[in-house]
Amino acid sequence: MKKFFIIICLLIFTFIVGCKKNSESDDVEKFSNLTLKFAYYNEGKLLEFDTIIYENEAGNKYLVNEIQYFISDVILHKSNGENILIDEWKDIHYIDTDILSTQTWKIPDKLTPGNYNSISFTFGISEAKNHSLMFLNPPERDMFWPEYLGGGYHYMKLNGKWLSDENTINPFDFHLGIGQIYHSYPDSITGFIQNYFEVNLPSSSFELIENQTKEIEISMNIENWFRNPNIYDHDVYGGDIMQNQEAMNLACENGHNVFTIKIIN
Amino acid sequence: MKKFILFSLAFSLLLIITFCNKEKITEIVHQPTPYEIEIPFGFPTVLNIPDDNPMTVEGVELGRFLFYDGRVSGRSHPDSLMSCSTCHKQENSFECGINNPDFPGGFTHGIAGKPTPHVMLPLINLVWNHSGYLWNGFISNENPKEDYRNIEDLVWMGIIAEHEMFSDTVRAKNLIQNTSGYPELFLKAFGSETITVKNISKAIAQFIRTLISANSKFDRYMRGEEQLSPSELNGFVLFTTEEGADCFHCHGGYGNPLFTTNLFYNNGKDSSFTGEYEDFRDRFHISGDPMDYGAYKATTLRNIELTGPYMHDGRFATLDEVIEFYSHHLIWSPYINPLMHHIANNGVQLTPNEKIDLKAFIQTLRDDDFLTNPKFSKPEFFPDGMK
Ligand code: HEC
Ligand code: HEC
Repeated sequence: MKKFFIIICLLIFTFIVGCKKNSESDDVEKFSNLTLKFAYYNEGKLLEFDTIIYENEAGNKYLVNEIQYFISDVILHKSNGENILIDEWKDIHYIDTDILSTQTWKIPDKLTPGNYNSISFTFGISEAKNHSLMFLNPPERDMFWPEYLGGGYHYMKLNGKWLSDENTINPFDFHLGIGQIYHSYPDSITGFIQNYFEVNLPSSSFELIENQTKEIEISMNIENWFRNPNIYDHDVYGGDIMQNQEAMNLACENGHNVFTIKIIN
Repeated sequence: MKKFILFSLAFSLLLIITFCNKEKITEIVHQPTPYEIEIPFGFPTVLNIPDDNPMTVEGVELGRFLFYDGRVSGRSHPDSLMSCSTCHKQENSFECGINNPDFPGGFTHGIAGKPTPHVMLPLINLVWNHSGYLWNGFISNENPKEDYRNIEDLVWMGIIAEHEMFSDTVRAKNLIQNTSGYPELFLKAFGSETITVKNISKAIAQFIRTLISANSKFDRYMRGEEQLSPSELNGFVLFTTEEGADCFHCHGGYGNPLFTTNLFYNNGKDSSFTGEYEDFRDRFHISGDPMDYGAYKATTLRNIELTGPYMHDGRFATLDEVIEFYSHHLIWSPYINPLMHHIANNGVQLTPNEKIDLKAFIQTLRDDDFLTNPKFSKPEFFPDGMK
């Protein structure tokens, strides 16, 4: 009879163990979550679209219609010198002012609580990763950069309009991506220039607290694209710059000072 | 005792299997064969197929009959038949064509003569459109009304619209129900011989989703199977450069072989879009965004040489006229899309040779396989044996 009892117990035990979903390990690790949000400012105020209320350093009055861009390889720098690449399998993130869902990036990684010194990321996509046809679906797909001009994807499209020195409101497409070296412009390209750059966010130290989700906003301060250290004048560079390395270079130098962070909570 | 142990082990295993398996085993009434859409090279992988209308071989076959059968209009007199294919013709990329004797100049009208509000759109690669059907994107998942969201809905709309079949759905459904051969096909595709407008719509939508073009000369160039001529290559460079013809931001290229973003832009055709010039079917009347006055979908340029007249209102009869327009005749307005930055010079200012090359490139987007694919063509006989 004892044997019988043991067998019944065994039976129940097998049943319970067998049904238990994925058996998670028992040692409870301590971790925190991180969510990145993306926002746009001009002279410290939230950006208003489609209204010509802004004036840049060069004196161009302008409006912004839409902004679409990639950041990639976001790295959290810990105080102990450790660098953590976040969301390793989705290391390129697309942000679009017309698509709300792109403006929040919930990082799936379980991060170690503690103090972090700073955040850095690549503006655009590095040469090693910027391959044509890696995004087959919209909206990322529509960022493709033509093969002839270097291939891969636009780092950014910032589309707007400005009041030109001829007093007409003209469109500008402030598009950044791979630049070209021309033998004779606009034909015979002899080489390409990778314009992506690393952004080290100033004063971006933060603390991750156990079992909490930290929300950090990455803010794009539009006026700086046209101001610091180079004064960018739409009347000089005109409506399009994808084939104008000089203009893209000025813009990318300014790009180092465009992003700041804000700890939301 | 050993037997008993073995038995209890087996029994517990059985218990585990039975109770852990959540899926209900339902009785299978009908089992249509799934229809797989193969994704061509470079094409998007995400398809716009509603959950309640999965693609099946039987559904597609039925949809093809219905697409071509004039009795879907609920009329059987030979003079008053109208089917989807009366206007949507395969040889013209499923538009009516500019030389169609029934629709002079390519301007379509309904069975009773009422003109369609805009000219036609092709039925091509629509399974990859996620941002709205029709020139203004009215039919989309964002539409608050459930009956206005996908290709299915354009079927019942086509049956009742005054500028199309101008009929009613009850007549349509009854006539198909009473046409021999159809009830069996509905049974195979949807599990019931009772025909509903919903199932008619589903079948036709499934057929339309199979209309895929991915074998133009340019596709073969992309896949490394064929070379473009020097003129075509130069046209390709013009198409995809800002200092050239600057078409790619809206109409695609190597990175977007659909040759449309399926998005909406004001491309600078007129100076006024409000007041007496307002078109109540432009994008603004869908999105409510003032920047969308006079904006329409940038259509695909695949097979474009066969789908004149051009623009939503058919204002241009030929591709040459379109190229002239983008080259020299853009018109400024506050609503012009920022991507039309060449407005500052009234256009992209192509030279005569560049215009020839650009056109030669656009013609590499013609897909003869698509235009003659027997799977897309009119069936020889309808289910009741009628021709
Ligand atoms: C009288 C001619 C006519 C008939 C008949 C007709 N259509 Fe159309 N179809 C059009 C026109 C014109 C448009 C463009 C309408 C617009 O956007 O204003 C169109 C657009 C469409 C579109 C949208 C394509 C896109 O890219 O957004 C679909 C899908 C479609 N029709 C399916 C059908 C189906 C299915 C039938 C049969 C039930 C049908 N049509 C019958 C003229 C016709
Ligand atoms: C700003 C986006 C944009 C750019 C850039 C652009 N187009 Fe378009 N295109 C459109 C839109 C939007 C339409 C439909 C407009 C309408 O129907 O009123 C259109 C329509 C067309 C049509 C007619 C399509 C049809 O089915 O009737 C052709 C052909 C065409 N474009 C070719 C070109 C070429 C060639 C270029 C480059 C020289 C170009 N487009 C540049 C947005 C654009």
